[in-house]
Amino acid sequence: MSPDDSSVRTLSCPACGGMIAMRAAGYTVTLACEYCGTLIDATNPDARIITRYHEVQASLAIPLGTRGTLRGVEWEAIGWLQRSDGWVSWEEYLLFNPYAGYCWLIAQNGQWSLGTMLTAAPQRDGSDQIAASRRFSPFYSGNTARVTRVAGEFYWRVKVGEEVRATDYVRPGFMLSLEQDDQEKNWTISEWLSGREIRAAFDVDPPPTWLPGMTPLAHQPSPYARRIKGWWPIAALSFVALLLLLILLGGTMQPQSFSLSATPDGPAVSQTFGPIRLPLGRQAMTVEAVTPNVEQGWVDIDVSFVDRKTQDSYDAYAINERYSGRDSDGYWSEGDRSQTLKVASLPAGTYDLVVDVKAHHWSSSGSFSYDSAGGAYKADGLPPVEIVLTVARGARFASNFWLAVLMILVPPLLMLVLHIVFENARLAQKDGSPADADDWLQGIRSP
Amino acid sequence: MQSVACPTCGAEVSFRSPALPVRVCDYCRTLVVRTSQSAQAMGETAVLPFDISPIQIGTEGRCFDQGFQIVGRVRWAWDDGAWNEWLMLLADGSHAWLGEAMGQFMALREVELTGSLAQVIRRLMNDTPVKPGESGNIAGHAYEVADIRTVRCIGCEGELPFTAPAGWEALSVDFRNRDGRCASFQKDAHGPSLYVGQYVTLASLQPRNLRALPGWSLHPHVA
Repeated sequence: MSPDDSSVRTLSCPACGGMIAMRAAGYTVTLACEYCGTLIDATNPDARIITRYHEVQASLAIPLGTRGTLRGVEWEAIGWLQRSDGWVSWEEYLLFNPYAGYCWLIAQNGQWSLGTMLTAAPQRDGSDQIAASRRFSPFYSGNTARVTRVAGEFYWRVKVGEEVRATDYVRPGFMLSLEQDDQEKNWTISEWLSGREIRAAFDVDPPPTWLPGMTPLAHQPSPYARRIKGWWPIAALSFVALLLLLILLGGTMQPQSFSLSATPDGPAVSQTFGPIRLPLGRQAMTVEAVTPNVEQGWVDIDVSFVDRKTQDSYDAYAINERYSGRDSDGYWSEGDRSQTLKVASLPAGTYDLVVDVKAHHWSSSGSFSYDSAGGAYKADGLPPVEIVLTVARGARFASNFWLAVLMILVPPLLMLVLHIVFENARLAQKDGSPADADDWLQGIRSP
Repeated sequence: MQSVACPTCGAEVSFRSPALPVRVCDYCRTLVVRTSQSAQAMGETAVLPFDISPIQIGTEGRCFDQGFQIVGRVRWAWDDGAWNEWLMLLADGSHAWLGEAMGQFMALREVELTGSLAQVIRRLMNDTPVKPGESGNIAGHAYEVADIRTVRCIGCEGELPFTAPAGWEALSVDFRNRDGRCASFQKDAHGPSLYVGQYVTLASLQPRNLRALPGWSLHPHVA
């Protein structure tokens, strides 16, 4: 191949003789032999050795020379660094495209980020930094990042052992890093890449799914934040569907009304109404018991649906009561003159409604007379209490409804708990103040 | 356009702009300086080493709100690397520089070193050392010194506003500001000069006639 047919220049390593490629001629300053690791000065026409190594190079997740398309740009991996801050180590691939320049792929704990150098310095706002109109909060400060291994080519004089002071600012999904030494200050924004995105570009192992107990990256977005947000429309739709079901199917039909009366403190009254015909295999019944004129007293109401054929009985019970008076605060009243009873699952059949009522009057003073006809005392001058029963097929069981609502809420609540566990694990690494609810919320709010 | 015969090899050497009196002969790499009547050879430049810059002489585009054409290049090197300064001939006849380093581009125009200058510039003019991080106002904007280097010219091509002999040394100080503006101060044996401008992306230049690089398709954003 004649030199002009290719953008790649090859040379033999002055240390081991291996043929090594130079893919960014003119930009590249340092070349690290991919076979023995020897550092070569690429600005010197004789390819002078800077530091001689005899080290078998690591096998890289992305072999140098591999190309991949990320965000619409074809990149070639030309350099690789391993760096460490004493606690954790990570790898950085230098990506190159002659028309697009350079960017970085950073790999740590199997997670990948795309780093771009900033040409404009961020704006400081309190302890935060604003870069590319995004706000970043402080995360790590004053770490020293040291180059531990190197392969391929770089546009600066890279050295094993080279150190920079690093300060990192974070927002979910992004990290803003300042790296400085005595000569230079460089700002980089790295964006976390989803497993799908990195694998579509370069054939790397899928990033591990986060599980409680694992340490996420400082800028790794909570996997639950998006799911929680995605759940709300589903929850809202389910809620509307439930309401519709309740309205359409939970309505009552064919109301029948019966009334009877009972004298306060008079004898119990028992009466049978019917027939009530129930056509469906199973149905719920609603009985609305109203006592419009009960006053200073209560009425015990027992209702039973009795199947004429089988004599099976389905019972319900209500107390309607009403007390009122006047005190220093003025008029008061309490008690309910109306109750709704529900009886579930009546089989088809013809029923009688058997009603037993007893009205009571509550009074510390009052005159009673013996009613010879009724054989009991009765309160003088008290009118009989009217009881109106309205029986209808069907019933709304609100408890079922709330149970369903709870079940809709369980997944997002579970995800919220996992989200908080994730954010706590992420923020536990932060230098300075511990995590609080604001941090959890920020994780959900920002994309 | 004015054409003269190369004083060394006799090949035709053409000058496009009266403001650009220097031309590197495409054949023998002689630095040809045009005078009012004739052309004079001012030495020979080194062969430019192979690089894979996407820019070439003849690349056109838009910068400083007008069209430009690349007519020349100076390549500079310092201890730890090298970069290109491409000369843009602008539609209004003036010229500007397109600096290309580490895959990033800076569009810079020379400004006069007159009027009230920032202290940091005055100190640079007086050969007083400055440090990265020092700040000062240049042409109405706040800048910070990004780096200070001694640089040397390692070659040139095309048309130039000055002779650029190989081995020519200068002090080069780069300034950056918060909005992506940049400035560059240079001082050599002939005196100081100051350039201001901003970082640009290749795409924002709407370039045409970029250099085709074997094995690479034109970047979709700039093609």
